[in-house]
Amino acid sequence: MSMIRSNPRTLIALAASAVLMACSSIPASNPQLETARADYRQAQNDAQTRELAPAELKQAGEALERADQAYARRDEAGSVNHLAYVAAQRTAIAQESARQRAAERAVAQSQVERDRMRLAARTSEADAAKLSAAAAQQQTLAAQRQTSMAVADAEAARRAADDAQVRTYQLETELRALNAKQTERGLVITIGDVLFDNNQARLKPGGLRNLEQLAAFMKQYPQRRLLVEGHTDSVGSDSSNEGLSQRRAEAVRDAIVGQGVAADRLSVRGLGETRPVAGNDNAAGRQLNRRVEILLSDVNGVIASR
Amino acid sequence: MRTLSVSALSGLLILALAACASTPPPDAEMALGKAAMGQAQSAGGNEYAPAEMRMARDKLERAQLAINDKHYAQARLLAEEAQVDARLAQSKSEAGKAGKAATAVKEDGRVLREELERKTQ
Repeated sequence: MSMIRSNPRTLIALAASAVLMACSSIPASNPQLETARADYRQAQNDAQTRELAPAELKQAGEALERADQAYARRDEAGSVNHLAYVAAQRTAIAQESARQRAAERAVAQSQVERDRMRLAARTSEADAAKLSAAAAQQQTLAAQRQTSMAVADAEAARRAADDAQVRTYQLETELRALNAKQTERGLVITIGDVLFDNNQARLKPGGLRNLEQLAAFMKQYPQRRLLVEGHTDSVGSDSSNEGLSQRRAEAVRDAIVGQGVAADRLSVRGLGETRPVAGNDNAAGRQLNRRVEILLSDVNGVIASR
Repeated sequence: MRTLSVSALSGLLILALAACASTPPPDAEMALGKAAMGQAQSAGGNEYAPAEMRMARDKLERAQLAINDKHYAQARLLAEEAQVDARLAQSKSEAGKAGKAATAVKEDGRVLREELERKTQ
């Protein structure tokens, strides 16, 4: 009884194993299916397709599986070819979809980049405006700065342009910085009494500073010469005034030479009380008369005589 | 567009399944193939994928002829292939258009960059 019932089972098992053996054996190859498999493998190995068209790639894989199954079932060649064709087209669709999405992504990125550039441009415009405002402020400050800065600025300007006109303008700027005054004898720089120790020939630090700028100027314009003239008020004897004026003029000369200007470019005279610029009858006038005047030569080194 | 075609598809599938008992003419496959053709055409298939469009059109015509001769199995295969051909044509068109847009936007960016650089100089 049990043998009779188990017989059909055995038959079924045998039949099943026969089918499985048929499945596992590799039938003669189908070129269209081979092509579809190769296409699919290529798409699968492509990162862009994998990442951007996963759904389409999955459909292609399923189509390929149907073709493989039909082939394994030994369906007729027309049917296998058809399924292989569909799988190949589905693979191509996945690749095209990935291409489309990559391009769309590039569009979005370009737009972001464009916005970023516009924003950066706007920011840099604002920055430039800020900078130029700051520069203007800086210029105002610079204009107010001490004479040493004026000389430095003028030198920078000199380097920037060779133009004779620019140079003239620059020279004027520098001389203004040195407190030079235009007189009938040419440009005169006056070192006031207050820059000397009382009744002495020694220069105070403030006076020295002024001369540093003059020395720098002389180095820059080597063809220029200086005549240093000492003056006093009418208090005291002529000889002592002459001596003091001479010593003060020499002190000024020495200070300039000490800054590196060749001594032969400077001449010195002590004129005592002979050339007052103000009245000697009051203290203010006398103070103006006690002075050292530095005459600046013209471009050829010539100084107008008195 | 999508919901329309999906509901059309399910309707046709029911019809196709109902027809399964006897020899089924591939009405659903034909309808899907034609719909895919229409979509590919409006995506610009004639411009971007003329070869695929021609294949799809050709296969749909041959499928119709097969139906007329009651060669339904043959007709179904042709209609299915026409459908994937048309889908591929559509994908190629979309990719082509997106590629063009990307090129244009990049060119725009280049022009803008040059303009900005000129401005800052």
